[in-house]
Amino acid sequence: MERELTTELQLHYEREVARLVAEGASPADAHRRARLAMGSLERVKEETRDMWGVQWLESAVQDGLYALRTLRRAPGFTLVALMALAMGIGANSAIFSVVQGVLLSPLPFRDAAGLYRVNTLYPDGTPYSLSAPDFMSVRERTRTFAQVEAMSSQVVTLLGTGEPIEVRGTRVSDGLFEELGLRIALGRTLLPEETQPGRSNVVVLDHGFWLRRFGGDRGVIGRTLTFAETSMEIVGVVAPGARVLEPTDFYAPLTYDARFSPSTAAGRRTEFLTVVGRAKPGMSDESITADLRRIGSELQAAFRNTNDALTFNAQSLRYVLLGDVRAPLLVLVGAVGFVLLVACANVANLLLARTSARRAELAVRSALGAGRNRLLRQLLTEALVLGMSGAAIGLALAYVATRALVMAQPADIPRLENVGVNGPVVWFTLAVALATSLVFGTLPALQSSGASISGGLSEGNRGGIAGGGHRMRAALVVAEVALAVVLLVGAGLLVRSFVQLTQSDPGFRPEQLVSFRVTLQGERYRDDVVVRARVGEMLERLRVLPGVTSAAATSVLPLSGRGAMVGFAVEGAAPPPNVNAEIALAVVTPDYFRTVGAALRRGRQLTEQDSTDGPRVAIANEAAVRRWFPEQDPLGRRVSINGVSWELVGVVADIVQRSAADPAIPSLFVPLAQRATRSVKVVVRTGADPVTVTSAIPPVIRAVDGGLAMADFAPATDLVARTLARPRFYTSLLSLFAVVALALAATGIFGVMNYAVTQRTREISIRMALGARRATVLGAIVRRAVALALIGSGCGLVMAAVLTRVLQGQLFGVTRLDPLTFGAALVVLIASAALAAFLPARRAANLDPASSLREG
Amino acid sequence: MSHERIDLPQGTLDLLILKVLSLEPQHGWAISERLQQMSTGIVHVQQGSLYPALHRLERRGWIKAEWAPSDNNRNAKYYQLTRTGRRRLETETASWRTLSRTIEQILDFA
Repeated sequence: MERELTTELQLHYEREVARLVAEGASPADAHRRARLAMGSLERVKEETRDMWGVQWLESAVQDGLYALRTLRRAPGFTLVALMALAMGIGANSAIFSVVQGVLLSPLPFRDAAGLYRVNTLYPDGTPYSLSAPDFMSVRERTRTFAQVEAMSSQVVTLLGTGEPIEVRGTRVSDGLFEELGLRIALGRTLLPEETQPGRSNVVVLDHGFWLRRFGGDRGVIGRTLTFAETSMEIVGVVAPGARVLEPTDFYAPLTYDARFSPSTAAGRRTEFLTVVGRAKPGMSDESITADLRRIGSELQAAFRNTNDALTFNAQSLRYVLLGDVRAPLLVLVGAVGFVLLVACANVANLLLARTSARRAELAVRSALGAGRNRLLRQLLTEALVLGMSGAAIGLALAYVATRALVMAQPADIPRLENVGVNGPVVWFTLAVALATSLVFGTLPALQSSGASISGGLSEGNRGGIAGGGHRMRAALVVAEVALAVVLLVGAGLLVRSFVQLTQSDPGFRPEQLVSFRVTLQGERYRDDVVVRARVGEMLERLRVLPGVTSAAATSVLPLSGRGAMVGFAVEGAAPPPNVNAEIALAVVTPDYFRTVGAALRRGRQLTEQDSTDGPRVAIANEAAVRRWFPEQDPLGRRVSINGVSWELVGVVADIVQRSAADPAIPSLFVPLAQRATRSVKVVVRTGADPVTVTSAIPPVIRAVDGGLAMADFAPATDLVARTLARPRFYTSLLSLFAVVALALAATGIFGVMNYAVTQRTREISIRMALGARRATVLGAIVRRAVALALIGSGCGLVMAAVLTRVLQGQLFGVTRLDPLTFGAALVVLIASAALAAFLPARRAANLDPASSLREG
Repeated sequence: MSHERIDLPQGTLDLLILKVLSLEPQHGWAISERLQQMSTGIVHVQQGSLYPALHRLERRGWIKAEWAPSDNNRNAKYYQLTRTGRRRLETETASWRTLSRTIEQILDFA
């Protein structure tokens, strides 16, 4: 190429010289003038070369600056477009940063992909923890795990300066730190030999706990933590961010009863260990599960009495930590994607309107030599400038939103602390901005660069809608409406579910009820008699406080999970098939049901007469009756709890333990007098003003025993709110997206109708001059808008019918094709369309035929 | 040769090159000569802008080039109009005529 050009230019030069000589110039003169005429050869070559390549960069910058100028000249358009883009892109960035922080970012463990949690699997498929001997057996017999470790956490009372407080400690097996990759920041880690009894009174502190409790004092090594029962020496502190599966305050070596061993049956049904295994390289999920089932069978054969019908399975740690948050987050991703599409359609529409208005300008540019490609580039550059600016604003919005989210900590979404506007989020935003710009920029660019010049310059151009342009704009609006409808339906379904949840009966009355927890540990509570006496004393003192209606104690609060399971069988009846021989057990004082407001359905309450020496009595809930006494009268029947016989004397209504959406858990309630518990939750029903009462309670407890720590002191309505937190979060977000999409779609309809009225001013004026009434004109415009909205809604409702499947898991009390919700979405959209068209319609109706015809 | 030479408005050089080539295929220098002739020397084509223009038009597919022996038996690069180029010439001529008419109207308006 280069050589050709040089030859070409050389020839030209020679000819020029020849001509000049022929005209009479001297050779030297001819050469000089020829050179002058041609300019510097190099520059010519350079300029020609530029035509090939680098030119585009220069013109790109030129385009960019021009784009900025044109955008600044149309502030209304630019503002609206920027707002739409900022909202659309910003929302996507915010949701992506949540997805990135929660789902995509690596787990804080070493090589987390190979980690699995091992569960004991009961016949009905419920997963449980492992017992110590089972853990030892799995460790011994595994062929697919390179390492198997265990941990167990519990709450203990820490004594020392100031009030006794509750802390959470996790006991870990000898290799757990290494398996999960926990690093030490100060001091040393736990030694393997410290799992031996007698040497196990050492702890390693959690980093956050070290900062909170000891202020980051590096001299903490060698000091002791004093608990109710023991003291333990601090030997180390873990690195910041190091953690096991759940937050904890300190780590201690795992010890268990010396009688437990892999070769005996002792202790096999006391399940309390969370077991984590690291798979050998290349092991698949199937091979791991198969291997665990094999171990289960071996243990079933070896220890028939304890391990019959039990086996093991494994779940990847990723699934364990994130499993049930993945689906709703992905729904949010889809929803926010829809919002972005709506925003894109809106901006595309705005751009189409603008390029129609700019046809004259573009025509002139084209006549003056800009090629079609150049114009296309110009328009795309404008789209890019718009898109990038919108993205920048959106990113700022996303930053604010994610900070607010992390601080508010809604819905106990795991790993929320990882969420923020970080590197991957910025790249994502950039990519979205680019893609969005291309999407909304291509349509107008293609349309306008094909515009013929004479069309743009001819005088009569203002009249008449460019046929193709209007169709495209209408199509975009229909698409916007369809997407908005889908979001409205989704949000509507979630809102109805949420309302149903809030109105569902929790089985007790949470208002004016407060609760707190005390753990009766230590030497002085070794004797059950003392435990009962203390609890009795506490309740007595609480009952005489002014404002207290009643007080009671339980081992399991409502809405706080299942509680402990015990072996269970109905005497004199065959066990129902496919049901575990166990039941959830709660230990309560006689006043409990009355205090929490749970209704007694049959039989009698537990009373003071059910004493420690008296006949053992129990109350079952309705779920237990449904499971074990179908169609029968349970009163008077005897049941066996861990081998001991009890009589059923009453049936109580189901109290919700997990959430209204989960089935009720079969439960049994026994008197504290007949079975002691040391983890006591006290419930107090107050009169009208709970505040004065709540401040009076802690002194009472201190007076009973100064060494007791009160924890989780909160009104019962907090418990209810906690179960509503997650549905509330998702519902709010989806509703927000639906409202934004609706607003954008309405704006789109407004824009199209406005433009149509402007374009057809003459036609409308003629009509009015010929006698059409204002109302007719107004009605015609609104009808057109409604027609567009109907088409869009129709498509949207069909899409929604297909897509609501993804919400299935989160609906409560509402079917996924709920007609009321679908209908409401339709009505809202039509109404919004009519409203959006109202202003342009009024403008059309108020046209003065005489003056507008004159203008035309 | 010492007239006031009017510079061509941007973009019209392309149009003129197309017009010249519509008469017959030429090489670069001959185009320049022809333009001077046709414009009776009033319009001056910067020879330095001729070649970039030629290459631009070639890239756009409105003219194509091939090397052939010229009248002095040296190989020269001859340009000719393509079919697209011929169509382009027509539309651009029409547009130009409309534009200049409009501008004249405006200028006459005083």
